[in-house]
This record gives sequence, structure tokens and C-alpha cells, in this order.
Amino acid sequence: MGKLTKGQIVEGAFWLILAAFFFAYSFEFNNNIEIYKYGATLWPRVILLLIALAAIGQLLDQRKNGDASSTSKIAAIHEDSAQDTQYNSLGWYINTFILLCLPFAYMIVPDIIIEKTGTPEEGAAKVNIICGAVLFLAYIVISWRNHVGAILTLPLFFAAMMQDMGFYALAPVFIIGVMILMGERRPTRMAMVMPLIYGILIAFFVSLLYVGLPTGYISPFYDFGTWMVNTFQ
Amino acid sequence: MDAFNNFLTGTVTLFSDPVGVLIFFGGVVGGMLFGAIPGVSMLTLAAILLPFTAHLSPEHGIMLFSVIYCTGVYGGAITAILFNIPGAPENAPTAFDGYPMTQNGEAGKAVGAAVMCSAIGGVASCIVMMAATAAIADWAISAFGPPEIFALVFFGLAVAASVGAKSFWKGWLSIMAGLMIAVVGLDPVGGLERYNFDMPYLAAGIHFIPTILGFFAVSEIFVQAEKKATGSYNAPKLSVAFPTFKELWQHKIAVVRSAIIGFFCGVLPGIGATLAAFMGYNEAVRWSKDKEGFGKGKMEGVISSETANNAATGAAMIPLLALGLPGGALTAMMVGVFQMHDMEPGPLVFLNSPDLVWVVFAAMFFANLSILLVGFLEAKTIVNLLRIPFQYLAPLILLLATVGAYAVRGLTIDVVVMFVAGVAGFFLRRSGYSVAGIVLGLILGKIGEQTFAQAMQMLHFEFSGFLNRPIALGLLIAGFITILASVYGAFFKKQPASTGTA
Repeated sequence: MGKLTKGQIVEGAFWLILAAFFFAYSFEFNNNIEIYKYGATLWPRVILLLIALAAIGQLLDQRKNGDASSTSKIAAIHEDSAQDTQYNSLGWYINTFILLCLPFAYMIVPDIIIEKTGTPEEGAAKVNIICGAVLFLAYIVISWRNHVGAILTLPLFFAAMMQDMGFYALAPVFIIGVMILMGERRPTRMAMVMPLIYGILIAFFVSLLYVGLPTGYISPFYDFGTWMVNTFQ
Repeated sequence: MDAFNNFLTGTVTLFSDPVGVLIFFGGVVGGMLFGAIPGVSMLTLAAILLPFTAHLSPEHGIMLFSVIYCTGVYGGAITAILFNIPGAPENAPTAFDGYPMTQNGEAGKAVGAAVMCSAIGGVASCIVMMAATAAIADWAISAFGPPEIFALVFFGLAVAASVGAKSFWKGWLSIMAGLMIAVVGLDPVGGLERYNFDMPYLAAGIHFIPTILGFFAVSEIFVQAEKKATGSYNAPKLSVAFPTFKELWQHKIAVVRSAIIGFFCGVLPGIGATLAAFMGYNEAVRWSKDKEGFGKGKMEGVISSETANNAATGAAMIPLLALGLPGGALTAMMVGVFQMHDMEPGPLVFLNSPDLVWVVFAAMFFANLSILLVGFLEAKTIVNLLRIPFQYLAPLILLLATVGAYAVRGLTIDVVVMFVAGVAGFFLRRSGYSVAGIVLGLILGKIGEQTFAQAMQMLHFEFSGFLNRPIALGLLIAGFITILASVYGAFFKKQPASTGTA
């Protein structure tokens, strides 16, 4: 008989709280369907019940067998399991959580500011740019000693800003950012590889396949995106 | 004998027409290329080409799509093996062992096995398709109604719970998480909005392509990036040594078993190559004496998955051509090609356009054969992508995935969803959960719920109705036994003495 670790308890609690939350939310669409007496809730509720049962079963199994409970017959992704590194402490999780919130803050905060201050349409773009710059600066400061957190967050920033600033303007910055986070430090290499990757993507998707990528709507990003489309498509 | 003569006629018709030959080889190369490029798939190519088929003859249009289907399913295996990025959901199980083989310096062997077995599975499937289309279609359609398809989905999920995760519980939780993601959006019977949290985007449901790209491609980049940050990253070892005939011959039973599984999964409308690949892989694990070796770079895993998914391609044409029922996205596009030419796929096609049917059959047969030749040549060159340092490959893959996610519906929110799935996949993998299980749950969730609802309506909401349907009953019992055996194994099997408690 083993004793549950904090991590195992948190993991079990996560699934149980998730199941309880979604079960409670299922009353929002608990309406009758004339031709189907089980309604729209039976299927998700059965899944949630099974999630709760599996979470409890996992806790009981871990309590009985300790770490050995994790050893299945067919464990395909063992090498990915949590490692004893600096990237596995409570402080790291908190730091990473804050980092991951920043891109979502960019998706919400400018709209709130624009709404609260009654900023006219022509000033809204400036609010977006300033918010983006401030949050990106915060990202650099917070992730200074959290390399993995920085890697996890950068693509989310890229995706969150793409609607406003477009693929064409952000992609070169993103390529360089990822290369730096992956350990590349030679400016000449980066200067050579970035245009190559960017060129391949533009040639293949924009020129050859006519894929319409987002141009953004904030000037000068929009102007650049439109110019790229007009030139290469 | 009639079938053989028809096949010869179809072959002559196909290769005596220069335009047909050009379209055939274009489809072969295009399917392989699009299947092998991370972030796009054969569906992207098919979607791009669909409007242009109006300018082709019906024979050429349908033939082009059927060739893309065969070679595209194989092409997705290349990225699954080299980068852990399945080109399509049906290649996901290929990555379970194919990618560890790459990390072990056996990329060439994994790709070689995929080439051989895709060709074998596809050719075998074509032969059976040509010989027995009418009889099999009759049987499958009469024997497999919604209760049987639901039972098959249940059985598939029960078996899949034991694959890919660190424990049975984590496997089961992974699948349930996938099923819950599939619940978001409109319910399949009444069209009620579920779990949309007042967000218009969620009302339409979470699209599976960004989710798959996130869980596989993006999370893999994050996992490798963490390894780089912690100094535990090992660059994949390059190898172009293909497997020997002896090595492949050792897996003959797995090939035959997977071809049979693939064929029967493929013939069922809506199930197709994805479940075929998972079932082929799961059965390989179940029958193997070395279960622990799976997931760590076992060639049998690649062989089983790739044989099964290509075996499903020929079979998927049976319900399409015999009854007009598409088995998946690509066969659904083929219905579009028929309609653009004022034709309806179904039994009448065999009567009114036998030339079309047999040209398509012959083209599929030769497309699968050409996987052997073109596939080996392509593999020899594509394996060299591994020479690119990871710091250059990572931004390329992330941007390809971005374009792939965005191109589906033209929504930037799909790109956000993809990266959120990537982050979630990274943390879930660290904790021993199976991203493949989540994706399988996501894909089969909608089919499962829809067929369950249809089954219950058909059985007048009496669960006892399953007792009168032997195939459904058998599959449900097999599923329950699989789950109970796993639960029993988790609780009551003796654990090794050396493993202490935490």
C-alpha cells in the first residue's frame, strides 16, 4: 500500500473538477429533443461519468501500487514523461502559467481599453500595437530564466497577433524567435535561413497554391501583407 | 474470369490514353507529395483540384481522386515516421513506432517497411475489391447498421485505451478527453449547442485538423525543444538502409492480419482507414509476444498500421461505387466529382459506366504498385530532410502547421486552437497521457454518438435490442472484456518488487 504524492492528488483532482464543471454546465443545454428521448446531455454525461471513474480508479491504483501503477504493458511515450529537471517545479508551473496568459491578454485587453475609453476606430490600431508591445516586453522579462515556458508561449503570441498584424509581417520575426529559442546564436546563419524558410512558404503556398493567408488589418502590417499578396500571388 | 477480363480492359483503356497516363502519374506524385508535406495532406490537394475536375472526363476525374487517395494515405506515413507528424489521422499509429525507429537511427527501415506494406495492403485490397465488390457490399450494408457501427467504434476505443499511454487509466482518460472535445458544438440529433460558452467559434465545434496538428506536430516541437533546453536532445540518426526481405518476411502474419482488418474496416461507411490503422496496430500489439517493445521502435507497429490503412482504400470504394455511400472526406469529394458530371455513384454506375469503374479499379491497382517504385525513390530523398538541424526545421514545421490549420476554414482562431492543443499535448505527454488516444476519441466521438443515437431510435430505445444483433453484441462483449481485463490487470496483477511507492 503506497501513499499518494501531491502530483498524483492534483492530477486526480484536476480530472474530477473538470468532470464536475462540465456536468454542471450540461444543464445549460438540457432541453428535450422530440425524436430522441435521451436529449443532448446523455452522451457527454456518460463520458464525464467515465472520466470520474477512471480518475478515481487511477488514484486507487496509484495508492495501491505507487509509481508501479504507471507501468502498462504498452507504454509508447515513456520518454516524454515528466522529468526531474528545473522545468518541473511549482515555481516553473506558476511562471509558465503567467506566460501562457499573456497572449490571451492580448486578445482581450485592447478591446476592453477601446471600449472603456471610447477610442475612435482610427486610434484602435495604436491601442493594439501598444498593448502588443507591452505584453511582448512582459513576455521577454518573465521568460528570461524560463526557456521552456518561452518556447511554449511564443507560438501562441504569434497566433494571437496574426488576426491584427497578419501572417506576412509576423512570420519573419517568428522564424528568428524560434531559432533563437532553439539555440541558434549566429546572426549570419539566421539572416540566411530566415529568408529561405519564408521564401519557401511564400513560393509554395502563396504563389503556387493561391492560399489566402491573413494580411492583418493594422497599418503598416496590413500594407505589407497586401503588397506581398499582390506581388507573389 | 469476368473480373480479370474487365481489369485487362480497364488497364488497356487507362494506358492507351496519353491524357489518362499523365493524370495517373500526376495523381501518384501529387498524392505522395502532399501526404508527405507536414501541415498539408491529400485532402488539401483534392480540395484544390475538385473544381478543375469539371474540365476532365468523368473517368479521368474519378481516377485522379482514387489515385490520390491510394498514394496520399501512404505519403502521410513519411512525416509520421520522420517527424512524428502524421500526414492524416490514418497515419497516427504509424508514428507510434515509426518515429522511435527514426530516433533509433532506423528511419530508412521504417520508411522502407511503410513503402512495402502500403503497397501490399493496397494491392491486396484492390484485388479483393475487383473480385468481390458486389457480394461484400451486399453483406456489409445488410449486416452493418448503426448498432454494429456503434459497437465497432466502442470496441475500437476500448482496445485503443491500452495503447500509447503510460497506464490503462491514462489511456482511458486520454480517449475520454478526445470524446469530450468532440462533444463541443452542435449535438448530432437535435442540433442543440453544447459547451459553446457563448463563443460563436465553439458553436461550430472544434475542427479536428487544427487539433491533430497541435497534438502531434506542435507538441512534438515543444517536447524536442524541452530536450534541447535540458541538454537531453539527440538529433535523429540518418539512415537510408531499407529492410531486407528476410526482415519483412518475419512479419508476414502481421501483414495478412492487418490487410484483412483494413479491408473490413474500409468497407464500412464512415469508419475507413483511420480505425483500420488503429485496429491493425492494436491487434499487432495484442498478438505479439513482445508487447513491451511496441512504442519503442518496433517495425511490426509500422507494418501493421500501414498495411491496414492502405488495405482500407480499396475497400472504401466498395460502398461508394456500389451504393453511393462515401466512407470519408476524400470519397465524399469523389461524390462531388460524380455530381459535377451529372452522375450519381451507386449500383447504376456498374450498369451504365462499366468502363469508368474498371479504369478506376485498374488505376488504383497500379497506383498501389507504383508506391513501391516512386515511394522508394521519394523516400531516399525525403529521409535527407533529417540532415536539417532542428533549430531550422522547428520554425518551418510550426509555420507549415500554421498554414495547414488556417487553410481549413480561413480562421486565425483555428491557429490559436492548434497552438493551445500543442501546449496541452506537451503537458499531457509529460504526464504520460496519449495524444493519439485523444485524437482517436475526437475523430470517433462524433461517429460514435451519431450511430448510438441512430441505433437507439432504430431499437425503440431498448438496450435489449442489441441482444438480437449478433455482430453488435459480439463487438460490445469483446469491448467490455477488453476493459475489464485491463482494470483487473491494473488492480490485481502483482507489481514488480523493485518498483516502490512514491
